[in-house]
Amino acid sequence: MADNLLSLMTFFPLLGMLLILVIPRDNGSLLKSATLVVTLITFVLSLPLAFDDVFTVSGGMHYREFHEWISIGNFFQMNYNVGVDGISLWLVMLTTFIMPIAVLSTWNAVDKNIKGFMALLLLLETGMLGAFISLDLFLFYIFWELMLIPMYFLIGIWGGKNRIYAAVKFFIYTAVGSLLMLVAIIFVYYYAVQSGAPINGFGIQEFYRLAIPSGAQYWLFLAFGFSFAIKVPMFPLHTWLPDAHTEAPTAGSVILAAVLLKMGTYGYVRFAMPLFPDALQTFIPLLAFLSVVGIVYGSLVAMMQEDVKKLVAYSSVAHLGFVMLGIFAMNMQGLAGGMIQMINHGISTGALLLIVGFIYERRHTRLISEFGGLAHKMPIFATIFLIITFSSIGLPGTNGFVGEFLALMGAFESGLRWYAVVATTGVIFAAVYMLWMYQRVMFGKMTNPANENLKDLSAREIVLMVPLLVFVFWIGVYPNTFFEKMNPAMEQLLNQMESKVAVVEQVEQPVVAQMVEYK
Amino acid sequence: MTLSDLHALLPQLILALGATGILMVGAWWPSRAPWVLTGVALSFCAAISAGIVLPTVTEVGGMFGVTPYARFFTILWSILTGLTLLLSLRYAKVHRFAGAEYTALVLFAGAGMSLLSAASSLVGLFLGLETFTLVLYILIAFNRGEAIGAEAGLKYLVMGAVATGFLAFGIALIYASSGSFHLPEAMHGLQIDGQMRPLGLLGWAMLLVAIGFKVSLVPFHLWTPDVYQGAPAPVTGLLATGAKGAMFAALIPLFAALGTLTLELNAVLAALAMLSMVGGTLAALPQRNLKRMLAYSSVVHMGYLLLGLMSGGPDGQRAVIFYLIVYGIATLGAFGVITSFAQADGEPQDYETFRGLGYRHPRRCSALSAFLLSLAGIPPLAGFFGKFGIFHAALKSNHHLLALVGILAALVSVSYYLRPIIVLFMQERPAQRLRPGCTHEFAVLTVCFSLVLYLGLYPGPLLELISQILPSP
Repeated sequence: MADNLLSLMTFFPLLGMLLILVIPRDNGSLLKSATLVVTLITFVLSLPLAFDDVFTVSGGMHYREFHEWISIGNFFQMNYNVGVDGISLWLVMLTTFIMPIAVLSTWNAVDKNIKGFMALLLLLETGMLGAFISLDLFLFYIFWELMLIPMYFLIGIWGGKNRIYAAVKFFIYTAVGSLLMLVAIIFVYYYAVQSGAPINGFGIQEFYRLAIPSGAQYWLFLAFGFSFAIKVPMFPLHTWLPDAHTEAPTAGSVILAAVLLKMGTYGYVRFAMPLFPDALQTFIPLLAFLSVVGIVYGSLVAMMQEDVKKLVAYSSVAHLGFVMLGIFAMNMQGLAGGMIQMINHGISTGALLLIVGFIYERRHTRLISEFGGLAHKMPIFATIFLIITFSSIGLPGTNGFVGEFLALMGAFESGLRWYAVVATTGVIFAAVYMLWMYQRVMFGKMTNPANENLKDLSAREIVLMVPLLVFVFWIGVYPNTFFEKMNPAMEQLLNQMESKVAVVEQVEQPVVAQMVEYK
Repeated sequence: MTLSDLHALLPQLILALGATGILMVGAWWPSRAPWVLTGVALSFCAAISAGIVLPTVTEVGGMFGVTPYARFFTILWSILTGLTLLLSLRYAKVHRFAGAEYTALVLFAGAGMSLLSAASSLVGLFLGLETFTLVLYILIAFNRGEAIGAEAGLKYLVMGAVATGFLAFGIALIYASSGSFHLPEAMHGLQIDGQMRPLGLLGWAMLLVAIGFKVSLVPFHLWTPDVYQGAPAPVTGLLATGAKGAMFAALIPLFAALGTLTLELNAVLAALAMLSMVGGTLAALPQRNLKRMLAYSSVVHMGYLLLGLMSGGPDGQRAVIFYLIVYGIATLGAFGVITSFAQADGEPQDYETFRGLGYRHPRRCSALSAFLLSLAGIPPLAGFFGKFGIFHAALKSNHHLLALVGILAALVSVSYYLRPIIVLFMQERPAQRLRPGCTHEFAVLTVCFSLVLYLGLYPGPLLELISQILPSP
């Protein structure tokens, strides 16, 4: 069981998809329940990971699985090589945790072609989990692309009015990025083969040890970094996000915000940074600058939005700016802040999008001006919304505070002091745009007669939100549960990068000269 | 010609003699479905006999090889012929095709393609090529009633005749220069002091023009969209996969025999490949007709194949063969879906008729999307590994610029492959219901779909097989 737990967890949704495909098309409720059960079982399958103490002890990869997959000629060797460490652990958990919630949110929202929708959701889950557990660059690339197709269809078929534009934009942005990444992956492989270093297919753990000359590192880092920056998204590559977010159906945008965006930040932590630490040193000022611009710009633009969902989308740009800033601080606090902020953003922005979904299902509009005074009619909704708003702002006691505080502190203590100072204004802006929006939607007099008969949250909707609320406070009050499992892996990552920078500086010249023809 | 020669040519004989038999008996006993099904059975017999009946000689008449390489392609084209016929069963009925004639022609085409791929001399190459080109002249215009079909047939005839002229002249010049038709001597003989003889160079120029016409490389591609559009969908499928594929299968040993002399052709080949990739992409972008889009996109794919061919070596050859197969499967599948939607008053081609069809016919439309995405090279579908192999071979043989252009073309191709998918699934106003599919069409589509998926996830065994049958340099 434990031997192939990861595979079981990753491919269970795919099995579930096959099950979905044989259920008759017009049996909507059966399709939804079956999908819910599949995602719940996947969550249960992933639970042993969260309770395993091995992550608190060692920062290496656990639950390893290795099979040979493809060999092209005697040159390329791709392996099925998977495992988790403290860094991917919580992202895997976030994915399996958010999926049942996303499925539950579709109960009333999706009514056309339910079968296709559910099948694509499950396919997407396999893609996401696979990408988080891949330890082989090529395998990662396959899973990375596997996420693209279902998301494209989810936006394009079940999205809002402008869905086709948004879907195509999403597809093209991502495809450009991933093609660059593919070229870089192949280049790294070539380099590894030519330098005669021991490799294991496209296994990243062997690639970590490569001393790639810093000249090549710049280009490779740019290719990887560009691809991940699109996914994060970092300013100025963020323009696909508001469209995709706004047009996607609720479940789609929840998954997009909670998990898919993390692929970008995770990609930096797992691949771009440890593979090319020298290049990273050079690009940190630029990347930190873009992160800070993203924070300030995202917040300012969010403030001016008329559409709640667009506001949430731009707030994502700002939040992920904090994540990136924390990561680029390259110290424990920053990295821990960035990592926990990834989870936080998944929880609070996921929750915000669900909330937007609730009011959209009731009123079929998301314009702030259409609402006002809802708090009187919907007290439970108002309470939950307020908690999530606080979490998104980062009020102490909620999860957002822990992440933003650590990320900013990490940046402040590293060479990014002034960036951190500017970024702090983002926290204030966040309070302004979130509270202002909350005030306009929930408080004041009810001016729009269409809102008179709004119903408060149903039992299903409350059930949906409670797990999210639990984690808002859990991470806010006792984040150590999460940190104790992350720390060893993060320490290992930082040490490894430090030692590698030194190695590259030493061997810079001989390795380039030593190009061996490989046949 | 001895008995062992006949024994070695058994698969081709099954196809050709079977076709003759069907044609003759069919004259007295006109019928449709039984003949088509007989054709299917004959094709699979040919494939099986090519697989299990081991030849006792290596070459027949100094023209056709019976190597594992030739046998591999014989199996491939026989299966393709069988699938095409199976796919046409309903189409032939709807369009009132004469069953025996249609079946016989498709079988002849299969025999021609298999001879072309097996050619071990320039004469064999010419004979094989002309066998199926002649057949295609008729097949393309098989919808006699339709003006567009007649136009397509005429275009292919004129262009094909010109190409044949160039081919014959080119072969004659190469013979004059090297003194042999037989491969590899004909190519080795072109060499003088490590360079190509001027006459040989002229011969190759003619040959390249002919090849350009046959596989539709820019600037010889102008017939492609009209012929694709006008020909009956199953025939277009055969033309797009088998006819072009067999040509490339014949070119691989030809280029291998040329050896280092390829370098002299490199500038021209590079120009052809680059023009095809760029020109095809630009022309495909504005298309609003599925068959025309596939026509232009095939031009791009031919550019990739040429790039793989230029790269040479086992890597390039393997990449080209693998690409041929995955491209063939996806293309056959795409034309299969069009075939299965065809009605008596025409085939759905314009995107407008596909609007919202994904809701009415989810299975076939999903399959079509998968084929298009595979052609675009999106993992985890088979097309991805095809492109991966080609670009890998190109980079390894230092064709950096071409590889870059190819990668960019692949990127842009996403845009025109996505458009039909958008129309199928994302646009409202469900179209009128088109023809429901029938079992044998679904069978063919299922085979294509499974292969596209299987080869995308697990290309290892096929690559291994291809490595084993590669012609020795």
